[in-house]
Amino acid sequence: MATVSVIKIRDILLVAVPSDPDDFTVSELQDQVLDALQRYNAKGLILDISTVETVDSFFARTISETVKMVALMGGLTVLSGMRACVAVTTVQLGLSFDKTLTALDVDRAMDMLSAAIDSMETGL
Amino acid sequence: MNMLCHGEMPIDTENDIVMARKSVREAAVSLGFGVTDVTRIVTAASELTRNIYVYAGSGIMRWQSINENNLGLELVFEDHGPGITDITLAMEPGYTTGKGLGMGLPGTKRLMDEMEIMSEIGKGTTICIRKWLRR
Ligand SMILES: Nc1ncnc2c1ncn2[C@@H]1O[C@H](COP(=O)(O)OP(=O)(O)OP(=O)(O)O)[C@@H](O)[C@H]1O
Ligand SMILES: [Mg+2]
Repeated sequence: MATVSVIKIRDILLVAVPSDPDDFTVSELQDQVLDALQRYNAKGLILDISTVETVDSFFARTISETVKMVALMGGLTVLSGMRACVAVTTVQLGLSFDKTLTALDVDRAMDMLSAAIDSMETGL
Repeated sequence: MNMLCHGEMPIDTENDIVMARKSVREAAVSLGFGVTDVTRIVTAASELTRNIYVYAGSGIMRWQSINENNLGLELVFEDHGPGITDITLAMEPGYTTGKGLGMGLPGTKRLMDEMEIMSEIGKGTTICIRKWLRR
């Protein structure tokens, strides 16, 4: 089993998804992320999949679910770093990360989230 | 030069899905497939081994390089599970009897060059997929 580390940077949680996780690890990741979101009172989440080499239907379904769950808790998720070969395969497989914010890398995901959180707060 | 390769492994546990991905990746890389095709083939193997694990409980995956005018990789997934009641229906995107997305079988067909499904109710299912090296 691969371990998942959750790092907190200001209001944002950064999760590096392991490169070839088994189904159990992917399900665990969902629990861990939701738990950390609540514990740290975080507003944003970056799921970095830059080392992930295979995205299949189980992985996609669990990640999409996680994004929805985070949204219900008032958080915003950005999926970052999808490799080109994974993007091609994901689309051909027929998976859609509908309504999921994406970024080329963690830096850009940070910028997106910081801006979104700022405008949410000034909007109040 | 391209080496001929073949092998097989049982699919009994969830972790065997990970092991299957590793074996298939190695085989596809050694045959000279590019990174996108390797990803397509490994993803297809992940879908079909998970189907074995989820719907049949256990089964076997075999792989071998094939050489007919062109070099390619053939993967066979065999189980003695419940079988697929309606193959045409199972190939429809979105059709699932479980809690999946119903994308595994139709998606695999799109990722590979060839796909054949043989299934008999109460006897089991055998699925054969092939990918050819681009000429
Ligand atoms: N090896 C098998 N033995 C018996 N039935 C199978 C097998 N593989 C697939 N099926 C049947 O075909 C249906 C469609 O399979 P498919 O992989 O396309 O979708 P899924 O597994 O339901 O969802 P997903 O793969 O998107 O998570 C399954 O719901 C199941 O009823
Ligand atoms: Mg499936």
